Amino acid sequence: MKRIRKIDDNVFRLIIILITFLLIAGITKGGTFMKPSIFQTMGKQLAEYGLMSIGCGICMISGGIDLSCVYIANLCGIIAGLSMQKSGSSIIVAILISLLVGAACGAFNGFLVSYLRIPAMLATLGSYQLFQGISVVLSGGSSVSGIPDTYTSLGTLTIIGIPFAFIMFLLVVLIMTFIMSKTTFGTKVYLVGTNAKCAIFAGIKNNTIIIKTYMLSGLIAAVAGLLSLARINSAKADFGTSYTMQCILIAVLGGVNPNGGFGSIPGIAIAVLILQMLSSYLNTFPDISNYYRDLIWGVALIGVLIINFVINKKKTARLAKMS
Amino acid sequence: MNTLKNKMNKYVKQTEFWVFLIILVLSLIIQGRSGAFFANNNLVDIARSMICPSIYAICALLAFVSTGPDVSFPLIAALSSYISIMIAYKTNFDGPWFVIFLVGMVFGALMGALNGFIIVKYKFPSLIVTLGTSSIFSGILLGAFEAERMDLPETLQRFGKLTLLAVKNEKTGLGSSLPMTFLILVVLYIIAYLILNYTLVGRGVYAIGGDEISAERAGFSVGKIRFGIFVINGMIAAIAGLSYSVMSMRYLPTEYAGGEMVVIAAIILGGTRLTGGVGTLKGCILGTLLLTMVTNSLILVGISVYWQKVFIGGIIIIGTAIPALQTYLNKKKKEVKAGEAA
Repeated sequence: MKRIRKIDDNVFRLIIILITFLLIAGITKGGTFMKPSIFQTMGKQLAEYGLMSIGCGICMISGGIDLSCVYIANLCGIIAGLSMQKSGSSIIVAILISLLVGAACGAFNGFLVSYLRIPAMLATLGSYQLFQGISVVLSGGSSVSGIPDTYTSLGTLTIIGIPFAFIMFLLVVLIMTFIMSKTTFGTKVYLVGTNAKCAIFAGIKNNTIIIKTYMLSGLIAAVAGLLSLARINSAKADFGTSYTMQCILIAVLGGVNPNGGFGSIPGIAIAVLILQMLSSYLNTFPDISNYYRDLIWGVALIGVLIINFVINKKKTARLAKMS
Repeated sequence: MNTLKNKMNKYVKQTEFWVFLIILVLSLIIQGRSGAFFANNNLVDIARSMICPSIYAICALLAFVSTGPDVSFPLIAALSSYISIMIAYKTNFDGPWFVIFLVGMVFGALMGALNGFIIVKYKFPSLIVTLGTSSIFSGILLGAFEAERMDLPETLQRFGKLTLLAVKNEKTGLGSSLPMTFLILVVLYIIAYLILNYTLVGRGVYAIGGDEISAERAGFSVGKIRFGIFVINGMIAAIAGLSYSVMSMRYLPTEYAGGEMVVIAAIILGGTRLTGGVGTLKGCILGTLLLTMVTNSLILVGISVYWQKVFIGGIIIIGTAIPALQTYLNKKKKEVKAGEAA
């Protein structure tokens, strides 16, 4: 019970930040910012890296990290693109293949981390080179295009004004929230992340849990890759390389503890919303370069870490006094 | 005889030995397939492309051995060399080249100090902190300064044109030259070797990485050493950054980012342990050599460049899986033995 309360605190704080930010944006840039079209673009843009942040986030909750999600996404996009080119009609088959590939890549990561005991950071560092390499080999180094129109129409499809990509993002958020907070699998992931040794003594098969966690992350990355294939109508081996860092950053902003064991999916989702709004807001100022986003994100990451540190310190001090 | 055997045994147990063996076998294979590996221009080419990664490798080694991963060095390199080059332009500086290097090192040290301060004061994981700071540095470089490609000041250009060694392959007519920056690399490694092995501070670097609490009890000031390491990392990164631009004769702001992963992979291959406390400069050089060889020489064997990343990824995974499994099995063996003894 206590753990759930604690996570709620963090989500509550994030929601307050989001609302304050919306107010500031609304007051200073009311007319140009509060337009449905801007929110639609935001919805489209955030889905891809938002999804990957969730994948990376669950790996971090399990005590690891996934640096390869961007490259899994690219690989899946390329594979889907290639199979759509070859057999134009079977879009669904292409989607299924690429989801399978994503899950397999994730499972491979999980295997390296669990059975071979390579530290997660290193294992995914190696496997991202591998996945990127495979993508380069498959695509011949250039971008894969010639995607059927029926598929690319998903990129522009809106349902009652909401972009399809954003709906997928929400769907994944809902499913993952359910998995992580309501199923025994989710609880086990938290336990493995908090203390792997304890988890073994509690009768949890750590290796299986870790493989499943990375597999989920790979699967989510595949969804992100498919969405980006639909949005930009092509796939490339080195697309979105800067997302890797952003994903970790978002997960940490969303309250995930880099040492594992803490964090929640809604927290990550709200952090995605905050960051996307921030960068769209900055875009409304023509003379502020887009690169300032990096600066602000970096400051935000370290700032949030320090704030969380101070709050937790105060809390433990209070608890110590009470006892 | 016995001591020789002991010495052999000791060498065989080191990761560096195996990396050396792999390098040897690989180079013989490449030589056998193409006949061009041991050509003088190829060797000089490899030495040349090793310069920057090897300097970065010292940063990565110091960080890993004492604290944890540091991924900010490419951006510290980019930002500090940009600032020092700009200062040289603004002041119309035309003195000796090393003054620019010193200015760069001051700024690098400041940026490293920011890393060190946050890591020491709040005890956050160094990976996350350095990710954050490299994002900040990249924002300052490309956002605030709007850095673009530019030519180097005269004095650096002159320095870049100096060559230490120029060779020409008689058969193919291809030439290659080793720039002066190679000397910087050699000097840095000698200094690092002496400090790490023969001074108290150097031993402290290993001690705090091995076991923080024991090191503190033994009288090492953990916070100060850690802070110092990040400051020095910043300085080394600045040197690497300026060397890079000197070697390419231009300042290219966007070419720096992304280099960290390969460097980290190289030092891990060379036997540096992710959990801290273990790692040697010899391993850094060998690991970097292996990865440079793979990237430079695959094409000699007739393997298309497209396969490069596949090979690097494969080498990293295999190279890290073996030591990881080894330590795990050793630990298990020891546990079994301890169990029997009890």
